[in-house]
Amino acid sequence: MNAHQISATTSSDTGSSRAAEGQWAVETHGLTKRFGENVAVDGVELLVPRGCAFGYLGPNGAGKTTLIRVLLGLTHADAGTMSLLGYPVPKERDKALARVGAIVDEPRFHSHLTGRENLEVLASSREHAAGERIVGVLDRVGLRQRADDRVAKYSMGMRQRLGVAACLLGDPELLVLDEPMNGLDPAGMHDMREMIRSLVDEGRTIVLSSHLLDEVQRTCDTVAIVDRGAVIRQGPISELLAGTSVVLRVECSDPDRARSLVEHAGVGAQVEVGHLGLEITLPSGTRRAVIAEISRVLVEGGIALYELQPMQATLESWFLRVTSRLGDPE
Amino acid sequence: MTTDAPAPIGPSSRVGIPQDHRGSWIPTGAMIAARFKELRRRRGLMVALLTVTVGIPAIYLTIRLLLHAAAPHSYGPAGGFNQYVGLVAGVLYVFGFIVAATLGATAGSADLTEGMFRHHVITGRSRIALYLARIPAGLAIIMSLVAIGFTIVCAVCVFAAPTSLEYNGVHVPAQLSRTEFQQWAAEHAQEVVNSFPIDISSRDRIANPACLPGGGPGFGPGGGVIKQPGGTAATPCTPAQLQAMAVFIAKQDYTDYARVFLYPSDSLMVKTGLWIELEAIIGFMVGLGLSSLLGQRTIAVILLIVLELIITPIAARARLPHLSNLQRAVVGLATAHLEPGGLPTPFGGGGSPAERSLLLHESTTVAVCVIVAWIVAWTALGAWRMMTRDA
Repeated sequence: MNAHQISATTSSDTGSSRAAEGQWAVETHGLTKRFGENVAVDGVELLVPRGCAFGYLGPNGAGKTTLIRVLLGLTHADAGTMSLLGYPVPKERDKALARVGAIVDEPRFHSHLTGRENLEVLASSREHAAGERIVGVLDRVGLRQRADDRVAKYSMGMRQRLGVAACLLGDPELLVLDEPMNGLDPAGMHDMREMIRSLVDEGRTIVLSSHLLDEVQRTCDTVAIVDRGAVIRQGPISELLAGTSVVLRVECSDPDRARSLVEHAGVGAQVEVGHLGLEITLPSGTRRAVIAEISRVLVEGGIALYELQPMQATLESWFLRVTSRLGDPE
Repeated sequence: MTTDAPAPIGPSSRVGIPQDHRGSWIPTGAMIAARFKELRRRRGLMVALLTVTVGIPAIYLTIRLLLHAAAPHSYGPAGGFNQYVGLVAGVLYVFGFIVAATLGATAGSADLTEGMFRHHVITGRSRIALYLARIPAGLAIIMSLVAIGFTIVCAVCVFAAPTSLEYNGVHVPAQLSRTEFQQWAAEHAQEVVNSFPIDISSRDRIANPACLPGGGPGFGPGGGVIKQPGGTAATPCTPAQLQAMAVFIAKQDYTDYARVFLYPSDSLMVKTGLWIELEAIIGFMVGLGLSSLLGQRTIAVILLIVLELIITPIAARARLPHLSNLQRAVVGLATAHLEPGGLPTPFGGGGSPAERSLLLHESTTVAVCVIVAWIVAWTALGAWRMMTRDA
């Protein structure tokens, strides 16, 4: 993406009213959405702090997109309360959405219009200044050179970028991005990640719904895990991962004997032998001195150590443990 | 990613809510202009609309102009009253409704089917405003196209109208007023009496019937000599009697003369233009509302074509004693009753009172109420669905 930045403040705000006070960009209580017997969103309690990148994670069919649709007023909630940027929705929906940009599902546009014309159509529904931001947002998402091509000729990645450009037209304080990495090549994903971080650096709040856990871990500060319509975990990634076990990967000369030595070392480790060597799982909260002790036992036992690598628990491994798709939640 | 989440930063200093009344149901000029542009850029649709509203009349009239220029004795003039009524009642009225309905159906469903509806909803703009913005934008397009097509028809029918005519073998000047026509008849009494048709039953109202013996076959070759039954005892008419008869015949034949030989009057063209535009407005509004209700274009267009080409002609002429009020609620019948006099009756037939009596009777007041009800009801239904639909 181009380094060109759209203004974080707008001259059009002159004379505008202040946004509602409040520390949360998104706040929901008991939010529920049903489709017949199916409860797609089940009493969701969600608090998204302002000015951060917030990941909203869940398996397919967990209710991620439905929650976003409810938040944005694309469909109505059956129960619960919610607010965006401090404004209660749906009571003050128009004020809340005035400073919100969103991509929901696959971004689609009028294919017979150019990218620029699509943005002009969308800008017409916003404030007058939105039309003046078109060039800036096209530049920012890297579409300026193709802005006058018809959208029918755009690749999926270019449509994603155009979707982000549409989000930025309103100079939003809150962006809700549903699977924004879909269709992007590695370079595009990198650009998108950089752009999201730059938007956060400008003081905006990003809610990122994705199933690409690695991308979320690299992009977001805080996450919520949703499964079967309900939020089952929520908090900063570092805190969520702090309670996970530590895994040591060991390449050595005699894995079977090494396994026996570690199991009898009294460190409470679970040891498995794989084709790459040992995988030693230590309980959460294990101190670094225990790793040194394992190293000493192996060396003194005559095992040649080629590599000993503590593996950081990933969001993916944690996600798979806490969601119900691969077993019962913790 | 191991950094802690940033502490909530509280209300951002950069935040301001634009004072653009986006909760209002009144669309802005920018919204209407954007919608106009979005519709206008649909190349295929615009080509279809142009072809039907402008292309068909233009091509037809061009061919007639060329044929007349190449072989004036074989092909009559391109203009004139007959061409006018044929193109207005046969093409612009029926197909104008259908193309207007197609445009309305596109305007009502395109955002939804092309995934743009949710983009607009997310802006916080009132859904009613989003719906209402389509109306002036679409009407500006369809009314302009119909106006262009109608103007071409009027221009050709007036400027390429016949200048001299052969009527029953008699050379008659064109574009005569009623008085001029009678004056011309008096000056050419012999030809008129010999060649022009007359209603025999009104023969006894001629000023001096002395030279018109009862039971005669009427006028015919003989130069004002009326033959008795059996071909005997002819009574020659005086020049004055002949002139009186010619004037009388001219009075009778003027309506037919005007219909066949003259171009439409200014007042008829104005009334017809407004009537055609009304039909287009109805087609657009119903198409917009129906497609918004259904959420897609194709079925809406098919339903409206069926309404215009099948249901309306049947409802206009069928006699269903217990369903006559339901028949009167068909909008096509209502617009047929508002048709300017002088045009042929829609759905077939001429414009004579006898032909018009075939239409199911409906007062002008009821017809206007039916039209208003259709426009209001379909607009309300479309707007309601727009407001309640999941985006």
